[in-house]
Amino acid sequence: MLMLGGALAFAQNRLVTGKVVDDKGDPVVGASVIIKGTVKGLPANAAGEFSISAKPSDVLVVTAASFAKSELRVGDQTRLSITLKPASNVMEEVVVTALGQTSKKARVGYATTTFNSETINRTANVNAFDGLAGKIPGAEISNTGGPGSSTKIIMRGYGVLTEGGNQPLYVIDGVPLTDARLSAGSNVLSGAANVGTVGLTGQNDFGNGANDINPNDIESITVLKGTAASSLYGSAARNGAIMITTKRGKSGKISIDFAGSANFSKVGKLPTMQDKFGQGWNGTFVLGENGSWGPRLDGVVRPWGAIVDNSQLIKPFSFIRDNVRDFYTTGLELNNTIAISGGSDKSTFYFSYGNITSDGVIPTKSDYLARNNLSLRTNNKFNKFSINTSFNYVNRKVNQPATGQGSAAGSTIFQDILQIPVDIPITDFRDYKNKFFDVNSYFTPYAENPYYGLHNNSNSLSSDRFFANLDMNYQFTTELSAQLRVGGDADNARGFAYNAANGPEPGSWNAGGNTEGAPRTVDVGSVIESNNYVGSINGDFILKYNKEISNSFNLDVLAGVNYNQADTKTGFSAITNLLIPGFYNLSNSLKQPTTAFTRTRTRLIGVYSQATLGFKSQLYLTLNARNDWSSTLPIDNNHFFYPGGNLSWVASNTFNLKNSPISYLKFRAGYGKTGTTAPVYSIYPVLVSGAVPLPFGQINFPFNGVGSFNIQNTISNSALKGVITTESELGMDIRFLNGRIGLDVSVYDKSANGQILPVPISPGSGYNFLTENIGLVDNKGIELSLDVKPVSTRNVTWSFNYNYTKNKNKVEHLTNGLTKVSIFQIVGGVELDAVPGQTATGIYAFGPQLTPDGKVIVSPTSGKPLPTTNRIYYGNAENDYSMGFSNTLKFKEWQVNFSLDYRKGGVFYSKTAEQLLFTGGSVPTTYNDRRPFIYPNSVIQNGVDATGKPVYEENKIPITENNLQDFFPEGNNPALAYGNDILDRSFLKLRDVSLSYQLNERMASKIKLHNVTLTIYARNLLLWTPQSNMYIDPEASNFGNDLTSQLGEFETAPISKQYGVALKVNF
Amino acid sequence: MNLLKNKKIIALFFTGALIAVAGCKKTLDINHSPNNPSLEVGTPKIVFPVSVMGVAAVEGGDLAIVGGLWGEYITQGATSNQYKNVDQFDMKTTDYNAQYTTLYTYGLKNIQYVIDKARESEDWNFYLMGNVIKAYATAQLVDIYDQVPYSEALQGIGNLTPKFDDGYTIYKSLLAGLDSALGKDFTALTAIDLRATNEGNVDLLFGGDIDKWKQFANTLELKLYLRMINAKPAEAQAGIEALYARNAQFLEEDVIVTGFSDNPNLSNPLYEQNVRQLNFPNNLVASKTFVSYLEEHNDPRVEYFFGESPTPLDQGDFINTSQAALGATVFIESATDPVVFLSAAESYFLQAEARARYFAGDGAKALYDNGVLAAFTAVGSQGDSFIAPGGDYEYPQGTLAQNIEAIIVQKWVSFGYGLHFIEAWFERNRTGFPRTSPVYSDDPNYVPGEFVVPRNSVLGNQFPKRLVFPDAEISTNPNTPAQVPITTPVWWGL
Repeated sequence: MLMLGGALAFAQNRLVTGKVVDDKGDPVVGASVIIKGTVKGLPANAAGEFSISAKPSDVLVVTAASFAKSELRVGDQTRLSITLKPASNVMEEVVVTALGQTSKKARVGYATTTFNSETINRTANVNAFDGLAGKIPGAEISNTGGPGSSTKIIMRGYGVLTEGGNQPLYVIDGVPLTDARLSAGSNVLSGAANVGTVGLTGQNDFGNGANDINPNDIESITVLKGTAASSLYGSAARNGAIMITTKRGKSGKISIDFAGSANFSKVGKLPTMQDKFGQGWNGTFVLGENGSWGPRLDGVVRPWGAIVDNSQLIKPFSFIRDNVRDFYTTGLELNNTIAISGGSDKSTFYFSYGNITSDGVIPTKSDYLARNNLSLRTNNKFNKFSINTSFNYVNRKVNQPATGQGSAAGSTIFQDILQIPVDIPITDFRDYKNKFFDVNSYFTPYAENPYYGLHNNSNSLSSDRFFANLDMNYQFTTELSAQLRVGGDADNARGFAYNAANGPEPGSWNAGGNTEGAPRTVDVGSVIESNNYVGSINGDFILKYNKEISNSFNLDVLAGVNYNQADTKTGFSAITNLLIPGFYNLSNSLKQPTTAFTRTRTRLIGVYSQATLGFKSQLYLTLNARNDWSSTLPIDNNHFFYPGGNLSWVASNTFNLKNSPISYLKFRAGYGKTGTTAPVYSIYPVLVSGAVPLPFGQINFPFNGVGSFNIQNTISNSALKGVITTESELGMDIRFLNGRIGLDVSVYDKSANGQILPVPISPGSGYNFLTENIGLVDNKGIELSLDVKPVSTRNVTWSFNYNYTKNKNKVEHLTNGLTKVSIFQIVGGVELDAVPGQTATGIYAFGPQLTPDGKVIVSPTSGKPLPTTNRIYYGNAENDYSMGFSNTLKFKEWQVNFSLDYRKGGVFYSKTAEQLLFTGGSVPTTYNDRRPFIYPNSVIQNGVDATGKPVYEENKIPITENNLQDFFPEGNNPALAYGNDILDRSFLKLRDVSLSYQLNERMASKIKLHNVTLTIYARNLLLWTPQSNMYIDPEASNFGNDLTSQLGEFETAPISKQYGVALKVNF
Repeated sequence: MNLLKNKKIIALFFTGALIAVAGCKKTLDINHSPNNPSLEVGTPKIVFPVSVMGVAAVEGGDLAIVGGLWGEYITQGATSNQYKNVDQFDMKTTDYNAQYTTLYTYGLKNIQYVIDKARESEDWNFYLMGNVIKAYATAQLVDIYDQVPYSEALQGIGNLTPKFDDGYTIYKSLLAGLDSALGKDFTALTAIDLRATNEGNVDLLFGGDIDKWKQFANTLELKLYLRMINAKPAEAQAGIEALYARNAQFLEEDVIVTGFSDNPNLSNPLYEQNVRQLNFPNNLVASKTFVSYLEEHNDPRVEYFFGESPTPLDQGDFINTSQAALGATVFIESATDPVVFLSAAESYFLQAEARARYFAGDGAKALYDNGVLAAFTAVGSQGDSFIAPGGDYEYPQGTLAQNIEAIIVQKWVSFGYGLHFIEAWFERNRTGFPRTSPVYSDDPNYVPGEFVVPRNSVLGNQFPKRLVFPDAEISTNPNTPAQVPITTPVWWGL
C-alpha cells in the first residue's frame, strides 16, 4: 500500500520553482517551504529561491522567522512568487521544548526565551552564553575570569544547597550535554586547602563543558527556566534547561559561510590604591617590606630595593599611578569559523571548522585558550524515515595562572602583585633575571617577583572531546511517528601543572641579607599530572501521536523511555621538591609522589509521557509525568515519580480584540515537579584509605610500611530519597499595536524539598557529616520582559528590550534542628551559610561586640574592638534584583546594538581587599591620615554591677601609629576587618556595544557574496560599581560557577574588556 | 485500519518500555563504590594505626602550637602572623575546631570501632590497646574543655546530638575502662599476639608488645589520679595506693610515634602543617621564658630546641620591630621529629610525685633523678651533673611543696621533647608551676623561667585555663553547654 501511494504521487508530481520575498520585494532569508500535510519540504536559499516537486493540488506552506505563515495552492503554475508579511501576531512562533521537541509558542504554558544566531554571535563571543548576560529575565549569567574560564548561569535562584547542584541542563539537539568543570588535579601542597572545604578545582578555572560548543554553529538557543518547562527531562533539568539547536544544511547549491573576528582585550577594574604612604612598616621606611605602611610619600629620590654588589637602584619616593594596570598587557583574540553546507531536498549536510586563539591580558601565555571545533551534521529523508546525525570534535588547550593562596611549591602572581608597595614600579620587574629583581634580590623576602611566576610556572589543561548524536524518525502515519535518539559524549582531559623550584642563594638579600634579616622561604617546586574523563550516553525512544479530534479539539501525545549512563574517572599524580631544576616530570623528586584515582558510574532510566489538548487555537492544556529509576538511590526504593501540567490561554483568540490596541493576549499557568537523585555512592558505609587531616596538609597511610583504613567520616544513608523540586508559575504575554509593544511577565514559586546534603553534625557523634534529605529551600520571583519597537519604517527601525528580575531565596526549614548549613567557608573566616528563615546564600563573618545601645566594645589593653564569638550576618550573596536593557537601532544597512546589565544589592567577600588592607595599599588604610586615634563611639567593660550586668565606660585607649597596620587585617582585628572585606555586589555594566554594516544584497551579489556584514564591537566596555567597592569586578570569582562562587573571590584574576571587529560573509 | 495499526505500535512500545523497566534492577545496582572498600571488610588491625595517628596528629600538631605558646616554650615571631591570636589569649570558637574534630572523628571513633570489634572477638590485646588510646585522648579533651560528649558520643546516626558529660564522670569511666581491660585474660587463644603473626608494625607505639601496653595503662591511670588531687584528693590517693598495692608496672620508656619521613603528607604533623604546607617557619620562635631558664642553668638542652646561643623573644612581643625581635631564633622543627604520647621522663616524674605525696617521699628522689636523666637523654644530652649534689637541678631536701615544684618545673622542661608541650599547660593549671612572674621578662628583676603575661594578652593578668567550646560542636549540637570564660579552671584545675 505504501509503495503504491508513493508511485501515484510520483506520477503526478512536477517541479515547481519560486521565490519568497518580503513586502518590500527583498528576498526572505531562511524561509522554509513544505507541502501541507506532509513532512516533505525544504528551505529556500539565501536569495529566497526554492524548487520543489509538487502536485497541482498541493498546498505549499511557507514560513520564516518573524514573518507570518503563508499558504498557497500550487495549481497550474510552475513559477511562484510568494510574498510574506511581517508577523502581525505571534501565533506561529515556534519554540524548542523539552526533549528537543518543537511546539508553537502559543501552546506552552510557561516562560521561554529564544535567541537566534545573530544575537548570540553579534560580538563574537568565544562562549555561546556570554552574549546572553543581562538579556534573560530570571537568569543570572556571568563570566568569571579570563580566556577559557567558566560561564555561570543560574536560573531562578539557588535552590539546591550543594556545589554544582544549581547548574541548568545543557541540551544540544535534544541530547543532554555533559557540563563538567575539569581540573588540572588536586594541588599537592594544600596551601589551597585554606580556601575552604569544597575543593581545589576553583583555583584554576579551566572552563565548563557547555563552553566547548562553537557559538557560530548555533542556530538558536531557547531557555526554559522553569520546572514546568523542563520536567520531562527529569532530574538533570531541575534548574531549567538551555536548549541549543545547531545549524543544519539547506538544500540547494553549496553554501559557504565565514565568520571571523579579531579583538583586543584590556584589563578591567583593578583596585584603587592609596597615594599617600609608601613602602615600609610601622610608619617607617624599610627596604625589604612588602607593605605600604611606610612614611608619607615625598617624591624625594632615594635608593630602593636590594643592595647587590654594593650598589642599589634609586627612584623617587612617590606614588605610581596605574602601577598595577601597567602590569597587564593587551590581549588578542582571534575567532574564525568556516561552514560549508548544502544538499538536496532529501539530504543535507553542514560541516564547520572553528578555530579560536585567545591570549588574555596577563603578560605571557599564562592566560590562554586555543580551541578547534569540527562539526559534521547531516539530515536525510527516505520517504517516511528520516535520520539526522551530528558529530562534533573539540580540541581545547587552556592555560590559567594559579590564583588564591600560594604554597610551599610557589606563590601566586596575584598575591605577589598586591604585595608591591604603591611607590615601586611593577613593570621594572619584568626583567626578572636582572640582578636586582631575581630570586636572590627581589626587593622583599615576603613575596616573589610576579614575572618570575609567569615565566616559570604553568597550569594547563588539554582536552579532546567528542560528542555525537543520531536522531531517527519514522512517520508511520500522518498522526503517529516514532523517534529514536542516541547521543554520546566523551571528554578526555589532561592536566599538567608545575612550579619551579627556587630559593635565594646563601648570603643574598633574600636569604636574610636584607635589613630585617628575614629569609625568603624556598619554593620546593612541584609537578602535577592529571587525567580527567567525563563521558555519558543518553538514549530516548519516543512515540508521538497527533490527532485532530474534531474541528475544535486537537490532541498531541508523546510517550518515551530514557536511558542515561554517566561516567567519570579522575586521577592525578604529583610530586614536590624537584631535584633537577627546570625538569618537569614525575620522576624528578626527592620525595615520594602522591597519587589518587577515582571513578564513578551512574545510571538512570526514565519513562515519561505528555499530552496536550488544544481547543480552537485558544486553549491548550498540557499534562506530563515522568518516573525515574536511579542507580544512586537505595536499590529497593530507587524510583520517584513527578507529574506536571500547564495551561495556555490565548485570550486574544477567544475575544474579538480587533478594535482594541491589544494585538495578542495570552495567559499561562504551569505547575511542575522534578525529581533529583542522590549523589553517587552515598548509600553504603565504607572505609577510606587512612589519612589524618592537619590544618594544612595531612598524614597519609601507608605510613612507614603500615597500611590503614579509617571509617568514612560522612555517615552514609540507606534511607535517602529523591529530591523533589516543585514549581508553580503564572504568566502573561500581552502585545499592543500590532506587536510594537510586548510585555511578558512571569511569577514563580519554586521549592526544593528534601535536599540531599552532607550535613555537618556534632563531631562528638564520631562523624563530621551525615548525608541526608534535609530542609526546604524556596525561591520566589518575578520576571518581566518588555519589548518595544518605537520606530519601524522602511529605512529605520528601533527596538529595545527591558527586563527585570527579582528572586527571593529562603531556607524554609532544616531537619534535625540544624541551625545552619555552612555551604562554603574560608577556614576560620568568612562563611556562606544557609540559615533557616533566612536566605540560602547569607554571608557571615565575625564582627564587633556591641553594647545594647550600639557602642563598640574594645579591648581594655589594645583599644581594638573585640570580635563577636559567633559570626554575624553581613548580607545576602545574591543581588536584590537585576535589570537588563538592550537596544537595536537599524538604519538601512547600518545597525547599532548595545546592552546594559544592572544588578543591585547583595554582598561578596574580597580577599583582594583583605590583602590590600594587610599591605596598606588600599584607601581605607589611610584612615585618620594614619595618625593615632581612639576608635569612635567605643567603650571598655569595667566589671559588672550588682545585678551582674556589665558596666561600660568610655574608651580612652588609642590605636597607636605603630599598631596601625594591625588594625586592618582579619588576623589582627577580626571585629572590623570583615566590614572592609565584604563589599557591595551591585554593578552596572555596558555588556556589549556594536555597530554593524550589512552590505546591500545587490552590491554583495555583484561580488558573488551574500550577507556580508562587518561589525565593530566592544564587550564589557564600562563597569560601574558602588564607591565602597574599590577593588574588583564583583563577577570575578575563583570559586567556580555555582553556589560557592557567590561567596566572592580569593585574590583572583581581574576581568577584562574587549574591542574588536567581526566579519560575516556567505559565498 | 489506521487506528488499529497505531494501537499495535503503541502496544508494542509499552511492552518494550515495560521490559526495559523490568530489566533495570540489575542495571541500576551499581552503587557500590569502586573507590572505597565496604565497611564490612574492616578489622581492628586495619583501623588501629589510623586511630593512633589521629591522636598523634593533634598532639604533635595543633596542640603543640597552643601548648608551645601557652607553655611559653615558643612565641609568635615578629615577622609573621599566623598564631598571634593564640599568643595573646584571644580565642574564638573557630580556632581549635580542627583538633577537636580530628580527635573525635579520626582518633576516638576509629578506636571505639577497634574496642567494639575486639570485644566481639575477645581479642583482649586489641581491647586493651583500644581502651588505653581512648582514655588517653578523651582525658586530653576533658583537660582542655572540662566537659565533652562521652557517654552518648561516637554513636553516629544513633545519636547526632550527644550530651556533654562532666569531666569527673568521664575520668571515672575512663579509669574503670582501663581497669576492666587490664583485668582481661591475655592468655586466651583469642588474644592475638601481633608479634607472633609478624604484624607488630600495625602497633605504631610498641610494635605489638602487650606488656608495654599494660605499663602504659598503669602509667596513664597514675597520671589521671594525680590530675584529681585538687578536686578529689581522697579518691586520687586511694586510686594511686591501689595501683601500688597491685604492684602495677610503670613505663620506663617513651610512648612515641616515630617513622615520620621527609615526604609530603608523611612528616611530623607540626612540620607538615607549619613548615611544608604553610611554609612559614618564622611563625614560631624561641620564648624568653624557656630560653632564659635553660641559659640561667647552662642547660645544654637549649641547643636541641633552638641551636647555639639563641636570641629569644619575650612572650607575645610580636609587634616589637627591633632587630633582635625580628631576628629572633626560630624553633627547630624537623620532618622526622617524633610525637610523644607519654615520655619515660614523664612516667618517672609522675611516680616521683606519687611517692612524694603518698609514701612520705620514699623513693621520690631516685625517680625524680631518673626523670631528669631521661629528659636529658631524650634530647641527646647528659644530665648527671645537674642532679649531682650541688647541681642546678638537685632534688630539694625541703618541703613537699618544694619537691613538687622541682618535679613539675623539670617536667616542664622535659615536655619540650616530642612536641608534648600541651601537658605543661595542664600541669601548670593543676599545680601552679612554673610560677607566674610579677614582672615582664624584659624587666631586670625577672626570674628566668617564670611565666609572664604575654605582652599583648587580652585577658589582663589572667591566664587561660581551658578552651572555648568549638564552633563545630556549637553549630551542630544544641546540647553544647553555654560558654565558660577561658580563665575558669577545668574541674580538676586550680
